Amino acid sequence: MDKTQKYDRQLRLWQASGQTALESSKVCLVNGTATGCETLKNLILPGMVLAEKQSIFVDNNNKINIIKSNLYLGIGSFTILDGKTVEASDIGNNFFLDAESIDAPRAERVAILLQELNDDVKVITTDLHEKPLLKLSEILWNAKIPLIVVRTVGFVGYIRVVLPEHTGNVYFNTNVVETHPENISDLRLDTPFPALLEYAKTFDFEKIDSLEHNHIPFVVILLKYLEQWRNEHGNKLPSTSAEKNAFKQAIISGKRVPDEENFDEALAGAWKACSVTKIPSEVERIYNDAACSNISFESSSFWIIARAIHDFVENEGHGLLPLAGSLPDMKADTQSYVALQTIYRQKAKEDIASVRAHVHKILSSIGRPIDFISNQEIESFCKHAAFIKVIRYRSLQEEYITSPKKSEIARWIRDPNDNIVHYLLIRAIDQFYERYQRYPDAATLDEEDGGNESEFINFKSIVTRLFNDYGIKEIPSHVDDFIHETCRAGGSEIPNIASLLGGLVSQEVIKIVTRQYIPIDNTTIFEGIKSTSTTYSL
Amino acid sequence: MATRMQTDTPTGSQDGISSNIDRWTHINKLLNRRGPFCDESFAPGQGKDSLDTCKILVIGAGGLGCEILKNLALSGFKNIHVIDMDTIDVSNLNRQFLFRPSDVGRPKAIVAAEFVMKRVSGVTVTPYHGKIQDKDADYYSQFQIVICGLDSVEARRWMNATIVEISRDNEEIIPLIDGGTEGFKGQARVIIPTLTSCYECSLDMLNKPTTFPICTIANTPRLPEHYQKLDTDEPQHIQWVYEAATTRAKQFNITGVTYTLTQGVVKNIIPAIASTNAIIAAACCNEAFKLATTTAPYLNNYMMYTGNEGIYTYTFEHQKKLECPVCSDENIPVAVEVKKDILLEEFIDWLKEKPEAQLKRPSLSTASKKLYLQAPPPLEKSTRPNLEKKLRELVGEGEEIVITDTTLPFSLRLLVNYV
Repeated sequence: MDKTQKYDRQLRLWQASGQTALESSKVCLVNGTATGCETLKNLILPGMVLAEKQSIFVDNNNKINIIKSNLYLGIGSFTILDGKTVEASDIGNNFFLDAESIDAPRAERVAILLQELNDDVKVITTDLHEKPLLKLSEILWNAKIPLIVVRTVGFVGYIRVVLPEHTGNVYFNTNVVETHPENISDLRLDTPFPALLEYAKTFDFEKIDSLEHNHIPFVVILLKYLEQWRNEHGNKLPSTSAEKNAFKQAIISGKRVPDEENFDEALAGAWKACSVTKIPSEVERIYNDAACSNISFESSSFWIIARAIHDFVENEGHGLLPLAGSLPDMKADTQSYVALQTIYRQKAKEDIASVRAHVHKILSSIGRPIDFISNQEIESFCKHAAFIKVIRYRSLQEEYITSPKKSEIARWIRDPNDNIVHYLLIRAIDQFYERYQRYPDAATLDEEDGGNESEFINFKSIVTRLFNDYGIKEIPSHVDDFIHETCRAGGSEIPNIASLLGGLVSQEVIKIVTRQYIPIDNTTIFEGIKSTSTTYSL
Repeated sequence: MATRMQTDTPTGSQDGISSNIDRWTHINKLLNRRGPFCDESFAPGQGKDSLDTCKILVIGAGGLGCEILKNLALSGFKNIHVIDMDTIDVSNLNRQFLFRPSDVGRPKAIVAAEFVMKRVSGVTVTPYHGKIQDKDADYYSQFQIVICGLDSVEARRWMNATIVEISRDNEEIIPLIDGGTEGFKGQARVIIPTLTSCYECSLDMLNKPTTFPICTIANTPRLPEHYQKLDTDEPQHIQWVYEAATTRAKQFNITGVTYTLTQGVVKNIIPAIASTNAIIAAACCNEAFKLATTTAPYLNNYMMYTGNEGIYTYTFEHQKKLECPVCSDENIPVAVEVKKDILLEEFIDWLKEKPEAQLKRPSLSTASKKLYLQAPPPLEKSTRPNLEKKLRELVGEGEEIVITDTTLPFSLRLLVNYV
């Protein structure tokens, strides 16, 4: 089957490079729950092949098994680690199990029915409790393998992304180049480069006929009026709103007839033209990062190019990033549009060449061959230079043990609408499990039998202890409702929430493996009662 | 193949009573226990009956539809109907997981229904391969809930107007749940006809579709897209357009014409991925589950979702529009201001551009005369000369214009003020 045709609708989002990355990455799922299988479905469909041989398996009895055999392997080349056999409740919430599957090994059965999804076809854990999870995450963190943790309880879902930063050749998208910003146009109207200025001067606004006049590209119109303004105002750009309005008036007075669309486009772009082109502060921090200053043999291509761009900014760039070189559509005749486009592209090419020279200089200084970084990678980086992103993830050890965000959590929990309560309750569930070897699971509110008071009390005492650990002395009254709801849910994994979480997790996996778009930093809670979600950096 | 068929046969008989109860372990916890956020009408233990008797209609068996059908069946709905007019295309297989390569060319509604019934025993999925417009109010009023997983404004608008109308005429209100996706973005909303805002109330939230003026394409093409305007679906036609566009682009020195771009422009293709569809479909089905069982309150009333930068949702109450032509009780005509020398033709073009109108082929009339009618041909011909006339000569200040469009099951009313 023709892959371009089959994958057409997604190639429009991550292109061939993203697709190749997706197809060559390896994913391992720990526990073939409904949420886990929904995740895999959304990864197998777009073409991911799941890992061949798995090596780590942690179960809820806190055993870590290093498996090198095919014992837990599914069919074909993807892996699901699961020690359970299929029960009736599994076929109720998992579309990738059928009545035939009862009593069979769960990993094997879901593997068969998932395999059907894509005949062309990395670590996600579902339903894994705190202690085994911490062990697993430590191993993965040290091995620099990304981990996504997923839990669903009743109407609530939880996702945690843990990406250790790579220093070597390969980098996961703790550093992202292709962030897919909505608008990357960078016209440099306040600081026009010589070729652009020269071209703008070829238009004689007074002499041309009316057809030509209403096809002058708005970029040229803005350049003309900005130059005129600067000549009259000591080389300054319009800055106050009165000045900006006066500037707009000047443009309006240049219209020959009221409905010249190109002049309207110039007016729409006037505000932006008055603002000084500069490096966004968030991005500037990346170029000034220690990883950028301390380039060594171990540095990744991301940091090497970032350093090269830093050097470009200091030298040829005169304080500006390399030009992206893209031009938005505008009212213009074909010839002048193409000419203008060529001027921007030419400048972008020159900037890329300068950056490339810096890259090569750095590579030779650290003893790497020139082909360590491809031209294509340099080009893509330059195009996205103003939009790159670096996220430094905290490990689960930091979050749970060494430096939990106590004061933030204590503050958030006071708001009855804040979803942080679910984070704490999921943590409390795990502690409950450790003590009782089961989830809190009872009707605590039903009037007829008075509700199961003791379950509520037992769970609440664990919640209280956990809250105390976070420095929360008094449990806010709204938390009781959520404790009741958690007891009611009894650790259930309901199909819609499983599927929704499966969608979110697969999306994060795709971002990680394609190194495109921006993954969460680092925890998202979805609450299906009000249908809201919140992302926390924990 | 023969053995496959045998093993995949529904195995209801093996599914004894006890395992059947176990099967619903997960949802039963919520159905059998009262929660602190439950509506007063919630009765523990009744949820399964509600699901058994609820007749639910799914519109669309595409990316969202496949997910919706699976979720509803797993959530315990027993009587599901599905309508879809399309047949399966290769480009569906990257997300529409109920279809296999061997199903290409077969009707989506039928294949999807067969697959879900095969996998989940005890559910009945009744497919209809055809248009939503083939069915009348009698048909639609048999359902308790309708979920739309559609990709066209036109079809959703029709469905919304139809369901609102039924709910207005009958005692029973039919909740309409609407989901939509585009790339990494999407939305899920609950419409309680006449009580909450409806699809029509929110039309102005849509972006104007990107269209290119014909004169740009003919005289001043700038972008590769400008070479590719044509209405077709056939791969060989697209190939032809691609080749012609490449030649013309070369002539004007424009770069970037590719087959993928050509197809995208010609067919107005929206990028689509499995993950976003899964998220939005699940959000919609979660609402259907809550509405049918009252296990928790339903969404009030709109959730927007974006996944390209982290995970972001915005949940809010979209307000009813007082002058909504579909759900407002008042049915007040909308006042519009137009230039006093506007020609009828320009006025019609202006209407087509308005996002809250979304008209394709509008016909206009006043109480006393027909301004311009798109059909039948003799009437179109006799009203055509009006297009060149000034609107003011045809319609007085403050006079009401009624606008109909073949794509709409209702009419729009405007009051014109000249400025």
